Amino acid sequence: MPEPSGERPPAGRLRDHWIAEVIRLRETQWGPLDDGKEVRQVLARGGSFAERVLCRARRVGARDGLDETVDTWWRGARLTLLALAVLALFTGAGAAMGALGNGTHAVNLLLALVALLGLHTLTLLVWLLSGFLEPDNVSWLTNTWLWLTRKLAKGPQAALVPRALLELSNRTRTTRPLSGCISHGLWLIALLSALLTLMALLAARRYQFQWETTLLSADTFVWLTHALGWLPALAGFPLPDDTLIRASNGLQPLPDSANAVWSVWLAGCVVVYGIVPRLGLLLWNGWQARRGLGRLRVDETLPGFAELRERLLPVATHSTVDTPPPAVFTPQRRASSSVAAPPCPAALAGIELAPDLPWPPGPLPENVTDLGRVDSRTERHGLLQVLHDHPPERLLLVCDAGQTPDRGTVALLAELAGVAGHTQVLLLNHNTGRTPLWQQQLTQAGLPEQDLVTDIPAALRRLGTGNDTTGGARHE
Amino acid sequence: MNKQHTALTLAVVGHTNTGKTSLLRTLTRNPEFGQVHDSPGTTRHVEGARLFVDSDVAIELFDTPGMEDSMALLDYLDQLAPPAERLDGPERIARFLESPESTRRFEQEARVLRQLLACDAGLYVVDVRDPLLGKHKDELTLLASCGHPLLPVLNFSQAPRQRLDSWRAGLARLGLHAMVEFDTVAPAIDGEAQLYDKLALLMDTHAGLLDRLKTEIQAQRAMRHRDALRLIAELLIDTAAYRVSAAPDDTALADATQELRHAVRHRENACVAALLKRYNFNTRDFPSHTLPLQGERWGMDLFHPSALKDMGIHVGKGMAAGAMAGATLDAFTAGLSLGTATLLGAAAGGLWQSADKLGKRVMGRLKGYRELSVDDALLRLLALRQLALVHALDHRGHAAREMIDINPYLEGNKKTLWHKGELPGALYEARSHPEWSTLGEHYTTDSRRKAAVDAVIAALKLA
Repeated sequence: MPEPSGERPPAGRLRDHWIAEVIRLRETQWGPLDDGKEVRQVLARGGSFAERVLCRARRVGARDGLDETVDTWWRGARLTLLALAVLALFTGAGAAMGALGNGTHAVNLLLALVALLGLHTLTLLVWLLSGFLEPDNVSWLTNTWLWLTRKLAKGPQAALVPRALLELSNRTRTTRPLSGCISHGLWLIALLSALLTLMALLAARRYQFQWETTLLSADTFVWLTHALGWLPALAGFPLPDDTLIRASNGLQPLPDSANAVWSVWLAGCVVVYGIVPRLGLLLWNGWQARRGLGRLRVDETLPGFAELRERLLPVATHSTVDTPPPAVFTPQRRASSSVAAPPCPAALAGIELAPDLPWPPGPLPENVTDLGRVDSRTERHGLLQVLHDHPPERLLLVCDAGQTPDRGTVALLAELAGVAGHTQVLLLNHNTGRTPLWQQQLTQAGLPEQDLVTDIPAALRRLGTGNDTTGGARHE
Repeated sequence: MNKQHTALTLAVVGHTNTGKTSLLRTLTRNPEFGQVHDSPGTTRHVEGARLFVDSDVAIELFDTPGMEDSMALLDYLDQLAPPAERLDGPERIARFLESPESTRRFEQEARVLRQLLACDAGLYVVDVRDPLLGKHKDELTLLASCGHPLLPVLNFSQAPRQRLDSWRAGLARLGLHAMVEFDTVAPAIDGEAQLYDKLALLMDTHAGLLDRLKTEIQAQRAMRHRDALRLIAELLIDTAAYRVSAAPDDTALADATQELRHAVRHRENACVAALLKRYNFNTRDFPSHTLPLQGERWGMDLFHPSALKDMGIHVGKGMAAGAMAGATLDAFTAGLSLGTATLLGAAAGGLWQSADKLGKRVMGRLKGYRELSVDDALLRLLALRQLALVHALDHRGHAAREMIDINPYLEGNKKTLWHKGELPGALYEARSHPEWSTLGEHYTTDSRRKAAVDAVIAALKLA
């Protein structure tokens, strides 16, 4: 039995692409599969994006038993094809037997030819015609085959398998060649079986050949016989001569040699008009299909594949982590040393304020010393020196809540708070959202929460009077 | 010395909470990298990431903890190595790294300096919303002492309140003239290219490598865009070809409308999820109703009457409204592909299933069934929403943590062909091919569908 050449067992490349397509259809239809482990394995293996897609599909397919599904379907499909082939075998034989009859009656040459080649010629013409009209068209034999395999397949997953195959063949433009392989292959089997049956019957029985007509003249048959026999004659099948044709009108007995000539003419027609074109088309389509499947590539832009790119071929990966960090170093406020007779009762300093913020933040009460903005290292040293020399009773440190309270700033605040009698921190721009951060960092550094204030006039008033009860709105 | 084949190592350094980890997230297109939080000292160890060109490591980036206490560290350095000793920068840093405080109070700073010494260069990340203060200058003094090139990266340069000019001036005064603006949350389209260009100026031995990386990034961007348009085109073809049939009575019609709407909503969400995945933004939030998208336009249902008006889509007279909004009713004719060629092909080729379907449809027609399909305005709406999403994703850094906002695109583009012009013919063709829709039961694909998808992609490119 000639096996259609496009239908090799699904090994290697085709199978990989097939499984990848099944998974793609499944994922686009029902959502992504969990593939964390498989993606890690693929990343470890490397390769191009297409290779990675196929590799992932292979692994996910093996995990979910999709390769089994594909193989099962394939076995079923082959079985169906085999059944169709057997059917074709019997049909061919049946057609031949029907055409010749049982030998009791003379064989009507024209009707025998139609019985042997009629349906074949009609479907062949349709197939050729449909190729011009709808290039994607699939022969009805292929559709029957697909329909049968669908009836055999179980579950939605299995239904995806032939669909995936169709998608692949559409993408490689091999649908028609593949379908042609199936239909021409089946026809070839039928015609070969018809030919063999024909030869066997002709060998074993005595047949009388004749033509019959009511309307037409004998000349028509001469012409017809010559026209039909011309091509087989080129291939070496002898042509009956005119007198023999005219004599075969069934009204006079023919010599046995004449019947032999007619049987060879009939066989020649079956070979030349039936077997040769089908064999030619089968080979042509097989070559096309093989070439098309050789061009099989992963279409990287397809939905379902495209989304995988960032995961399968990441532009970056994580690399190293150095030693884990120790506990955070938190600056601590040191207890203020006992202060002898402070020369100034109250002082105000701006810590790391942007130059575009107004200074001082508001009108200062009489007795408050303005120590200015402190930013650079020299200014820091200067401020610490001044405060150590003349520790104030009350100190107000102004900070910008819009900035991030880093360790250096918090350490400075803690150190300054340790020098003065009572320190409060005033936060400007407290509505920027980082106020809780300041609160947290300063509390950790040992500054009580109630000393973190946000109301500017109240803070300045309190700095002037030292009165804690004037009711400045504290930060809640 | 040929350094083309060795990876360039870069330490990402800077003050605390300026977006160093964010920069790594955006450059590596990985929203999961490290930890990002608006507080000091979120990153407390060095964490690396590799960028690839043709599966070779091109750049290795190291995220470092923030510098927090540079002033005190400089004081300590003066104590360790008094200026009178006249040690040069790297020697002073080496002496610090051997000191006891390098494992205690200045543990974070020591990690940063050690990493910078081990790398080819440093990217100094600056939050330009902060004022340039003394501590930043001291930090730069310390980092410069390592003797490696430093490229300031001006982060948050797209933020409304920033001090870009004062930073530029300040950094120039410190001798850092090459710098690059790179907003990690909303990077410019050519932001990465600029960054690598500036870096190539500083390190000419690696210029070839950086150039290849730049080309690779552009190729990746083009590939992403191409894939995104394909995803949208598939959505549009699927939706345009989708048909739901309904028995003649009104309840059946209402049910069919619901079915149609549900399927289209679901399909749109699937497209959004696919786009997010393609751009490597968080898609953990499956199923799609919790997508991180904000704004009225996403909140608004596709089939809400004002959804179209809100998008500025031209709505013709006689458009179905109310219960039927978004759907078109056919009397079972438009859906039949009765083109001569098709009919001949079906009859001639014996298209088994086609004939089967055709029969069902003709029977439906005889029984007075009607078919629902999505109307043109809805196709426009879908196309615009997805295009706006792609635009937002193109301009979104992987450090961004806010919801995706599609409004900027919609406000900037009010008169595309998707608003008013004629829809691509491929969509009309799709209407007569119900089998092209993956939403339908009898999905089959052919080369015509592929051609239609390509035509829609071309139309999307024009928008």
